[in-house]
Amino acid sequence: MTATFTDRSPRLISFVRRIPVWIIVGILLVVVVYPLFWLLTGSLKTQEEFLNNPTWALPEDWTNFSNYVEAWTTGNLGVYIRNSVLAVVPALFFTIVFGVAAGFALEVMVWKGRGPVLLAFLAGIMIPGQMILLPLFTIYFRAGLTGSLWPLIITYTAIGLPLTVFMMATYFRSVPREIFEAATLDGANIFRMFWTIGFPLVRNAIFTVALVQFFFIWNDLLIALTFTTRDDLRTIQVGLLNFTGQFGQIQYGPTFAAIAVNVIGTLAIYLFLNQRVMKGLTAGSVKG
Amino acid sequence: MNRVLGDPRAILILLGPALLVYTLVMLVPIFWSLGYTVFEGNPITGFEFVGIDNFVELFNDPKIADALVFTLKYAVVLTVAQVGFGYLLALIYVFWLRKASSLIRTLAFFPVVLPTVAVALLFQELFKIAPVNGLVNDLLNLVGIPSVDWFASPDTAFLVLILMDLWRSMGFYAVLLYAGLVDIPDDLFESARLDGASGWRLVRHIVIPLSLPVLLSSIIFSVNGTLKVFDSVLALTGGGPGNTTTPLTLYMYQTSFTYGEYGYGSSIALLLTIICLLVTIFIFRSSRRDLTKG
Amino acid sequence: MTTARIRARRLAPLIAGVGATALLLTACSGDSGGETAAPTDFTYLSFAENTSIQDTLTSLSTGSCSAENEALPLDITTQPQASYDQQLQLLAGQNALPVLFASGNSPQVAKDLNDGGKLVDVDAALEELDQSNAIIPAARSTIEALYGGDVYVLPTEFNVEGIWYNKQLFAENGIEEPTTWDELTDAAAKLSAAGVTAFSADGQDGWPLTRLVGNYLFRTIGPDALQKVIDGEASLTDPEYVEAAAAVADLGKEGYFGPSVGSIDYMTAVNQFLTGEAGMFYMGSWILANFNDPEQNKIGAENIGFMPFPHVEGGEGSRDQLAANVGVPLALSEASYGGDVSAWLGCFAENFGSTSLGEQGVITGFAVNEPVEDLPPLTQAVQEKIDATTQSVLWFEALFNAKAATTSQTNASQLVTGAISPEEFMEMVQADLE
Repeated sequence: MTATFTDRSPRLISFVRRIPVWIIVGILLVVVVYPLFWLLTGSLKTQEEFLNNPTWALPEDWTNFSNYVEAWTTGNLGVYIRNSVLAVVPALFFTIVFGVAAGFALEVMVWKGRGPVLLAFLAGIMIPGQMILLPLFTIYFRAGLTGSLWPLIITYTAIGLPLTVFMMATYFRSVPREIFEAATLDGANIFRMFWTIGFPLVRNAIFTVALVQFFFIWNDLLIALTFTTRDDLRTIQVGLLNFTGQFGQIQYGPTFAAIAVNVIGTLAIYLFLNQRVMKGLTAGSVKG
Repeated sequence: MNRVLGDPRAILILLGPALLVYTLVMLVPIFWSLGYTVFEGNPITGFEFVGIDNFVELFNDPKIADALVFTLKYAVVLTVAQVGFGYLLALIYVFWLRKASSLIRTLAFFPVVLPTVAVALLFQELFKIAPVNGLVNDLLNLVGIPSVDWFASPDTAFLVLILMDLWRSMGFYAVLLYAGLVDIPDDLFESARLDGASGWRLVRHIVIPLSLPVLLSSIIFSVNGTLKVFDSVLALTGGGPGNTTTPLTLYMYQTSFTYGEYGYGSSIALLLTIICLLVTIFIFRSSRRDLTKG
Repeated sequence: MTTARIRARRLAPLIAGVGATALLLTACSGDSGGETAAPTDFTYLSFAENTSIQDTLTSLSTGSCSAENEALPLDITTQPQASYDQQLQLLAGQNALPVLFASGNSPQVAKDLNDGGKLVDVDAALEELDQSNAIIPAARSTIEALYGGDVYVLPTEFNVEGIWYNKQLFAENGIEEPTTWDELTDAAAKLSAAGVTAFSADGQDGWPLTRLVGNYLFRTIGPDALQKVIDGEASLTDPEYVEAAAAVADLGKEGYFGPSVGSIDYMTAVNQFLTGEAGMFYMGSWILANFNDPEQNKIGAENIGFMPFPHVEGGEGSRDQLAANVGVPLALSEASYGGDVSAWLGCFAENFGSTSLGEQGVITGFAVNEPVEDLPPLTQAVQEKIDATTQSVLWFEALFNAKAATTSQTNASQLVTGAISPEEFMEMVQADLE
């Protein structure tokens, strides 16, 4: 009320009040962007620069792309990226489809025993991955799957399931039950209902979960390390270790180049998915 | 209605694939590994039945106590920090930046995309002291504080570890929580504002209760991730100095695969699983209760 | 509360059921069939980080051993060191060990495999092939010391270890090559006073520091110092053992390793020495590859001298007993050993030494069957030192189990920074030995 005495002050006040926010945002940008900048410039430095120049020094030669050549040729980067894609995409697909269906069955449908089953899935979130390595290796070996990417696809799918199921169940829980009950009264078939009502309702959530799972799987090292011995099956995360020598010596330049390629690729995927997530979110909020 | 929503065939088809994969790839190996807890040995030397010896050792091994304390400390500190800062960021996105937040959201999210190996290298460089100072020590010197050897003492190594993981995950939690906050209908705020609520009161009485489900998911998510921390520790400190930053997972991996004591390693895994299970059930139940209340 | 209890009661039989199945599974998984068909490839599993053995093998397969390769083609797979021991365990558990493989990160792995009857007795196999002299005596004695008198690994490298020093820095500061521990500490003091880091050391990995402790023990107590500990005749906590840890800790206390040795990694340590920032550097002879690279070596190869670890006054050991190791020893799987593999082994034993030295510049534990010309002078000098060595010693962790070895290496930097006392250090390692 008092603020309306002059028409200048509310804008000033709102400007002053926004200053701390802009400072926070500014710090945030520096903290986030500088390391990325460092990473990208690092990919242009020689080993000697890494060892003898200060950390913040800029590359001496901005057109030194030899690290990228090195990473791509001796580092086999192309093959590793292909393997990562071939392992991650199917795993992500199966995780999402199975997970959403299970979440629907566990939260929307009515049956005895869904509590314990949900709890059993939830327990899976808590299992340390190191624990299942030996039995899984035995299973895959006996099944003749070692020497292919299947162990990775199967394991990633299974490891992603608990979280996906749990989060999908949570999202379905927030959907008013009346929607489904009304649909049953209209005589809708359960699968149609899942596909035409359930699925679209949680579309934003699916993108969010997919995004989360993607980065989990993409950055996995433990499982990829355990189930791949052949160089032509290795994923990019394991490939990054190739630039470390037997006594712990690191070839910084090629490592950074490989990381930079990895980062730019994932950034593209993120920007794409991010747009979809935001679109979904906007659609959701308009409806709300 | 219940005939449709309770159709066993439909339940089987929808739930079946997930349950099958999950059972074969997670549950069976878990119980298989549990079987190893009463054996000792490894695939090279063979296994020998030892009864409850492994569990007795769990209680007598001072390294277990160290690892357990470290794991819990890490989980609590990092969960509070990353969910807290993430929530703060999400609030900034929703209430101050609004439509303009997209770019900042993307940037702040970005660190989570980076491979752990890369992030660890980065932080080692930033906090290094020898042979030349990293950026952090240079900044400290600038304001008159002598250089700190960050990775030489347990407390400072822990701090760097927390900072690194916070840097990595903050933006991620912000996006996760942002998704929950955006879903809150605008008219609710409007009516609350008309009632005279503003600032902190608005956050406390409207925003937090309404975003509670997603907040709780985030906490469950964070606790589960932090209790099982493995690669960021391995890449940044390698568990050192000494074994002061060794979590249970790393100790378990070393015991099983480096020391060749697979049975004992499985017992450590069981201990960790039980802790995780208790914590999850605790949070899960309290979340259910809160949801029914709200 | 109540719902939880009901739920738990309902779950109980389920869990019990699955648990019982798990026990059955565990019990069954032990007896994997021992039958293995003759291999179709000469499979070799290597450390991903080690390329010289792979390259030498590849070169053999197209050169001297092409006939053997025709019958049994070479097939190389790799695994990063960090997960290598795990991979061997998993493969051994399935009876699927490769024909030839790096024998793991610690000698213990090969010992376990051999105890399980999974390794070829290389000694006997070579004798059958009339190649008994393929392994040089120095390498043989190192292997025997390492593996309790048996030879079931192939020495694809033979490294001697000692202290490399910067001749120019020594001359500038009026230092003679130290022959005793006291002279060594005097030299370090002089370098330190001149503003030079006395010792460059990779404290992050720890082993270069514990190597000093080990060498000190071999000089004071004698070459069997650590064997006594393994045999239970002595303990690392005995005063004469703690003395060694204390001596190395004192170097740290005086600042001879420079500030913050714990955060210096391998590459940085090498770089410190090769840019003249440090006067001395304890390292194995594999480092010659870096020394011979003018790109990395700014002080010049002619400026680098090599001295054995010095004598300690009143000690049982002597300066002639060079520390040695056999790099990444390779082992052969018993299950796949047969005609074609033994032909490969014969060719390998005959030609590996000269091919490796000629093409990779790596000195191996195999006799060199044809002289290699144009060796860099520093390599030549080390080769001569090896030829003159009659008795070698191992390193601190060589006979330890993996647990004690890890404890020793991860706590080494704490020992030299004074974060833990020499007594505590030795107690921790001893505790994991038992």
